[in-house]
Amino acid sequence: MKRQAARCVGLLVLLVAVGVFGCKKEAPAPAPTPPSEPAAAPAGPEAAPVEGSPGKALAEEQEVIIWWAQWDPSDGLQNVGNEFEKRTGIAVHVHQIPWPSYQDQVTMNFGGKQTNFDIVIGDSQWLGWGATKEFYVDLTNWLKENVDVSAIHPLSLRYLCEYPTGSGNYFAAPCEIDATGFTYRKDWFEDPEEQAAFAAEYGRPLTIPDTWEELRDLAEFFNRPDEKRYGCVLLTGRGYDSLIMGFQQIMWAYGGDWGNRETYEVDGYLNSAGSAEALAFMKELLGFAPPGATNFDWSKCLEAFNNGSTAMQMNYFTFYPSICRVMGDKVGFFIMPRKGERRFASLGGQGFSISKKIPEARQERAKKFIAWFLSEEGQQLWIRQEAGFTSNVALLKSEAFKVATPYNPAFAESLDHLKDFWNIPVYGELMTTAVKRIAEAIDGECSPQEALDTLTAEHEAILRDGGFLK
Amino acid sequence: MGKSRFLKYGFVAPVLVVLIALNVFPLCYNVVLGFSNAELSGGPWQFVGARNYARIFSQPQYVAAIRLTAVFVFCAVTAELLLGFALAMGLRGRFPARPVVLTILLVPMMLSPAVMGLYWHMILNGHYGVLNQVIALAHLPQPQWLTDPSLKLASILLIDIWMWTPFMMLIALAGLNAIPQYVYEAAAIDRARPWTVFRRITLPMCAPLLVLAVLLRTTDALKQFDLVMAITGANDSATQTLSALLYQTTFRTYKVGLGAAYACVVLVVVIALASVFVRYIDHIQQRQGKQA
Repeated sequence: MKRQAARCVGLLVLLVAVGVFGCKKEAPAPAPTPPSEPAAAPAGPEAAPVEGSPGKALAEEQEVIIWWAQWDPSDGLQNVGNEFEKRTGIAVHVHQIPWPSYQDQVTMNFGGKQTNFDIVIGDSQWLGWGATKEFYVDLTNWLKENVDVSAIHPLSLRYLCEYPTGSGNYFAAPCEIDATGFTYRKDWFEDPEEQAAFAAEYGRPLTIPDTWEELRDLAEFFNRPDEKRYGCVLLTGRGYDSLIMGFQQIMWAYGGDWGNRETYEVDGYLNSAGSAEALAFMKELLGFAPPGATNFDWSKCLEAFNNGSTAMQMNYFTFYPSICRVMGDKVGFFIMPRKGERRFASLGGQGFSISKKIPEARQERAKKFIAWFLSEEGQQLWIRQEAGFTSNVALLKSEAFKVATPYNPAFAESLDHLKDFWNIPVYGELMTTAVKRIAEAIDGECSPQEALDTLTAEHEAILRDGGFLK
Repeated sequence: MGKSRFLKYGFVAPVLVVLIALNVFPLCYNVVLGFSNAELSGGPWQFVGARNYARIFSQPQYVAAIRLTAVFVFCAVTAELLLGFALAMGLRGRFPARPVVLTILLVPMMLSPAVMGLYWHMILNGHYGVLNQVIALAHLPQPQWLTDPSLKLASILLIDIWMWTPFMMLIALAGLNAIPQYVYEAAAIDRARPWTVFRRITLPMCAPLLVLAVLLRTTDALKQFDLVMAITGANDSATQTLSALLYQTTFRTYKVGLGAAYACVVLVVVIALASVFVRYIDHIQQRQGKQA
């Protein structure tokens, strides 16, 4: 009995010792990820170069790890990265993360002592958070010295890279530039019978809309639920920022705004008559949408348009190549309509931000890649990728770019009307409350004015709590 | 004696270590975080006293989430209890297809709520969902199950009831089968009416297990998250339960401190309810013991 007890305890101690010391033992540095496996688990920060360890440093010299969402542009970036490797010997690994968990993974990764990526391609709204929490490297001087900033479209530079907006401080460099636009059923619009019927009903020819009112008429005209045909789909998803992206460009066109970007005042902007009118107008437009379209993110909008049931679709330009593949020459494109002289498009796309939580040598390699990507050579390669949209002004203006795809002219024009949501650190709270209240108005739970009054009070509280509003 | 006690503790120690590391420590740490301004992305944080709790109790969305969760729990658990018990009564007797019927009825309970949520999302879709297509065949108006504010919560309730009624049925069936046959025989000799038998024998003798089932389902329903996430998303005011609000606070606004405070409140509610149920079960058992 005595011996048995001693054996049991001995075994127990051994097990605990193996567990404790086994865990404590430093894990060997992972081997560099082969270039042919970009989606493989990224080499962690523990693989950072060790001073006086030339073997490791040499291996490290050859890679830049980028985290981005899982979609077509990431594949394109990997292709461009492969070309970069051919020229420099530095491998670029684009680690793709599914959209629903992308933000969570990036946020939590920044919580560690070192990040598992060198570059994160983040949303414009993350800028203030990344900059003030000291997660993003300040690229202000580097960008001015190593990249031709004048070649970048000023609005994409302003909203995608700058924090605070208008300060001239850059925490990102442009990667995928995007905007919202509209796709339409060209074959329906060009049908002589439809044209005659529209002219008879509305007293003007059936053409792509220039104003929001014209778009409303077109949506009403094509809305035929009995034939399973609908007027339009708009970005209204409530999971992240879809509803905001869909609503804000109408709000800006109607004279409303999220607030004053300098003083952070919200009252009188967000709950202005223009904002309320815009929300009521959006609700009216959704009356010409398919059933359930009051909660459509970009993927649902794509689905509704690609299945052939909808005349017009609001969505990001990034998805237009795939729409062309499905719809062929049945699809056409136009920019966001205007209201009076005001025309705005929501900013899409993401910028390169370098993690501050990596060794300086890795930061330098990341900068090297970004500088090359933004060079003319890199941008020429980029625009040849599926959904590779550029912010290079010269390329945007070039005839070759405009004739390359049917949607490029609309894209180039849209960049002149870009505007964005708040990008301050409390953007998450501002966004979730905005989605909730705007959705309530769209669902008919309260009037647009009531929803915006409530939202104004909530945004004021958040901005005050965050130290932005006195 | 001393050595045997040493051996006993030796065996229990690893489990205790694991429990402390994985349950007790996170719980205590969560309580600490509830008094801080910690964020999801890490970094230094400070104690902010009871500010998070003050914010929670002053926020209308918190009150709304509490109310909605209470409505959800009450409706779901009541419907599941009644339906489950009725099904158990129906399946109590022996008949040829009983095992097959039981197996079919138990299938929903065995499926993952997240996967079921995604499937039901497709079934209830107002545009191409199967349910509305069937309704259309009957030339009836097609409700927008997922976007009509008055139907969203009902849709989630419907799925929850479909999933968890079999659980209630299973426990009720176990309770019913445990009632000795001689009790019914004695009642038959006394010429007791069926309603009296049900009220005086079946229900009281089944009660402890039913209360246990209600306890389990209530604590589970209080944490309702997966169906809400799959059907409407976590940020919909018509369906935002406490857990959904907690998720939104922690993962969409990065406020881990505030989220931890929410979690503590949910935990206190669950523990309070569980204590009430456990006391009630004890009470029933004591009464039955005295009667015996």
